Amino acid sequence: MAERPEVFTNNAYLARRVAGECRFVEGSAFDVLVALRDRIHSGARLLTHPLCGNLRPYQQPFRSALLAPPSEGEPLSVCPSSLALVEEALAVYRSCQGRWALPGKIPAAVEEDYACVDAALMQDSLERHGLWRGAC
Amino acid sequence: MKLELHKVKVTGVQWGPVTELRNGVLTVNKAELLAKVSGDERLASLDADLALPGEKTRIVPVKDVVEPRCKLEGKNEVFPGFIGDVESVGMGKTLVLDGAAVVTCGKIVGFQEGIVDMSGPGAQYTPFSQTNNVVLIFTPAEGLERHDYEEAGRLAGFKAAHYLASAVKNSVKADVVETFDFPTLAQAMTAHPGLPKVAYLYMLQTQGLLHDTYVYGVDAKRIIPTLICPTEVMDGAIVSGNCVSACDKNSTYSHLNNPVIRALYERHGKDYNFVGCIITNENVTLADKKRSSSYATKLAKMLGVDGMVITEEGFGNPDTDLIMNCRKAETLGIKTVLVTDEYAGRDGASQSLADACKEADALVTGGNANEMILLPPMDKVIGFPDFANVIAGGFQGSLHEDGAILVELQAITGATSELGYSKISAYTM
Repeated sequence: MAERPEVFTNNAYLARRVAGECRFVEGSAFDVLVALRDRIHSGARLLTHPLCGNLRPYQQPFRSALLAPPSEGEPLSVCPSSLALVEEALAVYRSCQGRWALPGKIPAAVEEDYACVDAALMQDSLERHGLWRGAC
Repeated sequence: MKLELHKVKVTGVQWGPVTELRNGVLTVNKAELLAKVSGDERLASLDADLALPGEKTRIVPVKDVVEPRCKLEGKNEVFPGFIGDVESVGMGKTLVLDGAAVVTCGKIVGFQEGIVDMSGPGAQYTPFSQTNNVVLIFTPAEGLERHDYEEAGRLAGFKAAHYLASAVKNSVKADVVETFDFPTLAQAMTAHPGLPKVAYLYMLQTQGLLHDTYVYGVDAKRIIPTLICPTEVMDGAIVSGNCVSACDKNSTYSHLNNPVIRALYERHGKDYNFVGCIITNENVTLADKKRSSSYATKLAKMLGVDGMVITEEGFGNPDTDLIMNCRKAETLGIKTVLVTDEYAGRDGASQSLADACKEADALVTGGNANEMILLPPMDKVIGFPDFANVIAGGFQGSLHEDGAILVELQAITGATSELGYSKISAYTM
């Protein structure tokens, strides 16, 4: 049986709806992407696109993604397509550095909407892996 | 499959005692319209207003735009799965109120949606400044969940569009009748010998809440790529549930009038043999992306096409689907032309797409969504103007004290349409 996927997010709204452990990143969406990249360098591979949602870095303060952990007992290998995707996502963020929407820095009601949409876009993927426990 | 579009030109819209169309002016009985679209307890309030070309009017935030259509002859009704039954459409005769539109306006979330200015510099960027608009403004019942609010607003737009066409269908005569026929595959394969076979790969936004598209009422994220007859699209088989990124979301109006399909028809039999339209989705998981891109391009290969036009909806995540589709088609020996838009920064100097490949060497752009525009104050605002500060392409301080809004083109509905249903174009110097 495949190992349990890892959920990376800076969205507390989503983290509360994940069944079991969640890799919660205290910080910006960019920090989530950096954490994803670190994990990919450790042999994990992306299961979801790191830029899901049609929301720019200066709109959406949250990022979430699912990763497949490295296979136990296998030699370390870095997934080139996962690495390329996360590097491309980082490049999108760098292209508008200084304008990023940050958690806690936008109106609360709007932030809640962004959090809800981020969670909703992850819901289907989490359900497929039995990792979703609460309605959005 | 043969479809006749019976187009009646609409040059104005007004309120009046009876819904009718005379001398190009659509008169609408407001109470009857609201009665037809109300009754959904998910909506706490529902109102309607009018916005005409040239008026100093701003509509914000726009959710969808729908062209009034109904069937005159043929089985079923338009917008199958919502207004009509789920039986196939795309045959018979369909009435089109050409020049009219239903615009839905509601604050589903505290961001996104779009702006339509009926005059001024912003009007130059949206095709819906040129339509005579019946605007529906709705607010949700207390505690309504966002998915339900989106669905209720979406359905209200379809009902209104269908009502307007249906109310006048027995008393109007078409100004223009356009006929679109699509052959069987057996006929298409042997037609126009010597001309290259061409298909259209039609990408649909399907990431989730506020990012959805429906085909015959089915959430398109649940489909695998399949063939659709272009005439089915003209009868509303594909509708928008996407209210994110106003500039490049494909409104239901844009689907109904998809200019790529029309262009493929126009040169069919002259420069190429247009043999099929394939719809595919843009999902979140990488496994779905692989499956859909492989399946869609496999269908194209089974059709034996030499070339394919691929249109994207959205940006970022869908850029990956676009590039996968391109690379896989080219690997199968199918030449591709991509239609997208760009997020190249306010100075246009940044990389335009989040993904790329060397095979993507023929590309049409809908424009740079990051370009800035100052929208002057308007005499009248329909909707919820305070949300300009948190609208896509806006930022804190976007809304000036005098009512002007400084935004990126991203905020303007349809400004950089990736179907090409927009007002931006180019010419050779």
